[in-house]
Amino acid sequence: MKNKTKTLAFANLVGAVLFIVIAIWAWFQAEGFQEVKGSYVQPATFPKIMIIGLLIFSVLLLIQSLWKLNSMKETDPLAVPAQSINFIKDKSIAAGVLVIVLCIAFVALFQPLGYVLSSFLLSMVIMYLIGKRNWVQMILVSILVPLVMWAIFYKLLAVNIPMGPLTFLRTLADKI
Amino acid sequence: MDFNLLISSYSAVFTNVQVLLMTLLGAFGGVLLGAIPGMTATMGVALLIPFSFGMDLIPSIGLLLGIYCGGMYGGSISAILIHAPGTPSAAATLLDGFPMTQKGEAGRALSIAMFSSFCGGVIGALVMTFLSPLIADMAMNFGPGEMFMLAVFGLSVIIAISGKSIIKGMMSAFFGMLLCTVGLDPTNGIPRFITYSQTSLLEGFQFIPTLIGLFAIAEVIAGVERIIKGSEKQETSHEKITNVLPDLATIKKIWPNILSGGLIGTFIGAIPGAGGDIAVFVSYGASKSASKHPELYGTGIPQGVAATESANNGCSGGAMIPLLSLGVPGDAVTAILLGAFIMKGIQPGPMMYISELPTVYSVFAALMLANLCMLIVGCGGVRFFAKIVSVEKKMLYPIILVVSLLGAYSINKNVFDVGVCVAFGVIGWLMNKYEFPLSPILLTLILGPMCEKNFVRFMNIQKGNFFAITTSPIAMGFLLVAVAVILFSIYNQNKINKRQAAAKAAENAQE
Repeated sequence: MKNKTKTLAFANLVGAVLFIVIAIWAWFQAEGFQEVKGSYVQPATFPKIMIIGLLIFSVLLLIQSLWKLNSMKETDPLAVPAQSINFIKDKSIAAGVLVIVLCIAFVALFQPLGYVLSSFLLSMVIMYLIGKRNWVQMILVSILVPLVMWAIFYKLLAVNIPMGPLTFLRTLADKI
Repeated sequence: MDFNLLISSYSAVFTNVQVLLMTLLGAFGGVLLGAIPGMTATMGVALLIPFSFGMDLIPSIGLLLGIYCGGMYGGSISAILIHAPGTPSAAATLLDGFPMTQKGEAGRALSIAMFSSFCGGVIGALVMTFLSPLIADMAMNFGPGEMFMLAVFGLSVIIAISGKSIIKGMMSAFFGMLLCTVGLDPTNGIPRFITYSQTSLLEGFQFIPTLIGLFAIAEVIAGVERIIKGSEKQETSHEKITNVLPDLATIKKIWPNILSGGLIGTFIGAIPGAGGDIAVFVSYGASKSASKHPELYGTGIPQGVAATESANNGCSGGAMIPLLSLGVPGDAVTAILLGAFIMKGIQPGPMMYISELPTVYSVFAALMLANLCMLIVGCGGVRFFAKIVSVEKKMLYPIILVVSLLGAYSINKNVFDVGVCVAFGVIGWLMNKYEFPLSPILLTLILGPMCEKNFVRFMNIQKGNFFAITTSPIAMGFLLVAVAVILFSIYNQNKINKRQAAAKAAENAQE
């Protein structure tokens, strides 16, 4: 094997280390949970049992990955190349990361701009990002879908959704 | 059983225009709501219950049961078409339903889901009618020890749904169980983990936003990635939907799964606290274990869809058993139904079988009618729903995204939940990339709280002596079945891995 760091076995190794770190962090957190006098099961008991389980299987995966990396054959199922998350080198991964960033921006804009406007921006940007160039379809879908969803939730299900500057639509909908 | 009264109750319900209309309306609303990710049958029933206040008891129960049954089937539509289960009960349907869509068999998957849902619902309704006192008696004997072991039994299915690596499946499961412990301790109300600084998490991670994040948002991120890479094909449903019901050959193939799924669903649904979300995984695991070709499960086979869909609709009948005979709701929807009965001046429970027998029989008939209405709505809608997959992916992904994010918000009307949904989208995307299965997390999110609550209760009752559980034959029965399921699943997985390795070796030899 030329480059073992690009195999699924190496990715498993990284994953195992990550879960071990999560488990150790969670254990220290659980150590700080308040204790309840007279209770046979403390608030930390059940989480600790789960942490031990997570640790056992993470260590098993770590051992398995180290073993495989040490004596790897081309035919091994874990010798297949793992997917990358290098968004600087790979455009497609960069696009995926951009969708995450856009979703975070959506959460931040949800209250001030409201659902319909923030959804309009989100879907327009994503459609443009993935190569859609039919502007009429883009605008129609980006406006109609959030608007219809809002109308269903507001009129039929009585769920009040933030509307930001478009709050006047509620008054309009109430009149219908 | 008074058969004359039963028949007269059925004919009274089936010939009452108001009951027919309300049940049909309920089924239509239920399918629509169930199909929207984030909208559950519980939420649908809760939101629509005010509309039933002005009606007589049976039409209002018909409306609510229509939503209940319709919602159970509706959840499978989005699970099959867009990989986002509309309801938690449809979570297992996507395991085989979505791969069928990817193979261009969306219409077939939908018709199987609908037929299985109907059959499962009918099985549930029949069992409820004839065996309700027996099953209710059995469920009534369950204490915390038995409930804990029931959860353990449910969790044993994890091995069966772990995919290629059991180690990674178990890691996902323990990670999911750990996620369940975030928030207030269920017994003493002590905050745990990051809830010290983040009070919005005091109630833990909400199930629906987490579910939408792991399964819908992660899929959108991966989909965008595939489009840019050029590996995303425009999938259209090539299958011509000439009939809205599955053909006879398919029915022959899936009927054992429907029968076992319906019965598993009814039994689990009858246990208070356990509902469709647990039943579907148990039924899927049982169907996979019993199959001669377990390696085909998860690749898009009708048996997988039939096993899960019959189970979740079987639950609706099962959940009604403790509600009617004991006055104890089997799940969240039946809890709301219990409220509807009380509002009408009827207290469900053993006495109801003596003083209100005609009402009990009318409810049996209304549940059967609700299943029939769901079939009618489903038949009318299969062609329409199957067309959704032909929508251009470049437009579909943004639509899924904005609808899912709204679904995450609508549960508690809390923007924080939308953030949780996005965070789990990222976790799901990364876990998918590195082949950590997501289904065990889903299962533990449902079973984790039940497991912990009953574990703590049991330990406190037994003064810390865990081994006292060995004195309960029911709990030990569940444990034995759980061990058997685990051993079978490991054996099956080894068989699958060997077969795949042999197939690959043969492929290499040919080259």
